[in-house]
Amino acid sequence: MKRLLLALLASLLVAAPALAKDVFHLYNWNNYIAPETIKRFEDFCKCEVVQTYYSDNEELLAKLAAGAKGYDMLVPTSNAVSTLIKGKQLKPIDKSPLPNLKNIDPRYLNTPFDPDNKYSVPYAMSTTIIGYNDVKMKELGLPTDTWAVIFEPRYLEKVKGRITVLDSADELFAAALKYLGYSANDVDEKHWKEAANVIKKSRPYWAAFNASSYIKELTVGNIWLVHGYSNDIFQANLDAQAAKRPFHILQGMPKEGAVLAVDNMVMHKDAPRPDLALKFMNFMLEGKNSAELTNLIGSGNPNTDAVKYIKPEILKNPAIFPDKAVAAKLEQLKDFTGAQRRLRNRMWTEIKAGR
Amino acid sequence: MATKRPLGLWIAAAAGYAFLYAPLAIVVVYSFNDSRLNAEWVGFTLDWYDKLFHDQDMLTAAGNSLVIALTASAVSTVLGTMAGLALYRYQTRLLQVLVLAPIAIPEILMGVSLLIFFVFLDFTLGLVSVTLAHITFCIGFVAIVVRARLAGMDESLTEAARDCGASPWEAFRYVTLPLIMPGVIAGALMAFTLSIDDFVITFFTAGAGTVTLPLQIYSMIKIAVTPEVNAVSSLLMLLTLALIIIAAKVSPTLLRSQEGSAP
Repeated sequence: MKRLLLALLASLLVAAPALAKDVFHLYNWNNYIAPETIKRFEDFCKCEVVQTYYSDNEELLAKLAAGAKGYDMLVPTSNAVSTLIKGKQLKPIDKSPLPNLKNIDPRYLNTPFDPDNKYSVPYAMSTTIIGYNDVKMKELGLPTDTWAVIFEPRYLEKVKGRITVLDSADELFAAALKYLGYSANDVDEKHWKEAANVIKKSRPYWAAFNASSYIKELTVGNIWLVHGYSNDIFQANLDAQAAKRPFHILQGMPKEGAVLAVDNMVMHKDAPRPDLALKFMNFMLEGKNSAELTNLIGSGNPNTDAVKYIKPEILKNPAIFPDKAVAAKLEQLKDFTGAQRRLRNRMWTEIKAGR
Repeated sequence: MATKRPLGLWIAAAAGYAFLYAPLAIVVVYSFNDSRLNAEWVGFTLDWYDKLFHDQDMLTAAGNSLVIALTASAVSTVLGTMAGLALYRYQTRLLQVLVLAPIAIPEILMGVSLLIFFVFLDFTLGLVSVTLAHITFCIGFVAIVVRARLAGMDESLTEAARDCGASPWEAFRYVTLPLIMPGVIAGALMAFTLSIDDFVITFFTAGAGTVTLPLQIYSMIKIAVTPEVNAVSSLLMLLTLALIIIAAKVSPTLLRSQEGSAP
């Protein structure tokens, strides 16, 4: 019995390194690359793509900070990229094998998160906006292009208990700051207090702080209005149409502006196969491959070459492809200093405790 | 059973069981629901099971989970039984702390420490590291159960065997082990179930490309829980149930043997 177990364990030990053929390890969000794209890349690189998933930037950061390795490529959001750079977790990118980098809209290059894109290349993006049930909003005569509908009691009265907001201090404060006309990255304590008051005043009208099941609630028709992520709202509508619901779930881009989240391809410092990682980067920078993701989940696309491959109904969606005036009001969230983080957490606790 | 119990007690018991089992029943029922949203009952279908058996990611994850749980429970049963014997025979404080500490330590702490430890040793994270981590936290549970069983055993039986000329090994093999067998099996089952549904420790010790069932389900929840998740959960329940039934058949006294003093 014991010998058998030892043999089993030993075979596991031997089997592990035997897998070290051409394998590309991608640590990605779930459902964040089209299956046909993976297949085409596997044929192209003559390697196998192995994906592992995370569902939160913090999850990824925690794991890498503890020293986990074996991943070739990660797809973190911009502020997590700057954390990873500060933690010396990334490998600089050699741009010579990336001719397709020219496809990326220059607006998304050379950001403060990674000056000169030394370590990162944009992959896809999403916005934090308003999602709504088109039939109900029309019935109630509510606007869907302003944060006012989430924060002003005169509108909220009509949707009391039928609205949810994200269970995220940073996203909700950013929305309230935008509503007040400040930058989402404003760090003035006085402005934060104003924002907290706006949130406290609207809180009684909200059904819940919900970051996970609001897709389903929208689709089912229990909830009519949400503060949520553009990809999720897109998914909710796909589900609602598949289930033949008598309404659509639409995206509303607030005219005050919103939070933009750009996810980026980066290489881990201990990437076992940086060669495959660079091949993958250049491959994903091709318009067609990048467009497949947008067609699948309705993500924003920083790739100018992708436009011709994107479904027309997605392309004309102003929440996914905003016009220049709105795009200028989109902001990526920056990291806080320790003191700012503590203040924000304290305010958030007070809000959630209902004081 | 002849004594008549008050009706209130029966109702309380029924409510208690309903609270425990109704959610499980709902999960199983909705795994046959013909709706991706799974919000209300639409119609009966086996599609989700069909989809599950063609979902390569899910099958790989399930395979990994089974291999890990079987290996971890087998190894930790052997080591845990030895630890249980030692705990019973040499009742020193230090030994107790060493064997039982992994049970008391918060999972997240254990997960992070194991990850740092593996990284320090430059050990490749993968199936092996997860299996070793699972063995680590399972040993304590097996040891506790085995020690409880030993405490309820008559020590003079082993002494009698030794008097009759049995070697220490023979006395263990033919007298002690059969007597504590229900405890050993209970420990093994416990180790198996703990291992197959562990998330936190697995999350930290799994490397690139190593996915277990709980990790896979967790990453799916973010998008939308389709009835496929219900289907895989139902199968997992079926497996656990089968194990308990098998254990009860192999050792009929197992599920009822509570005569040992609690640890």
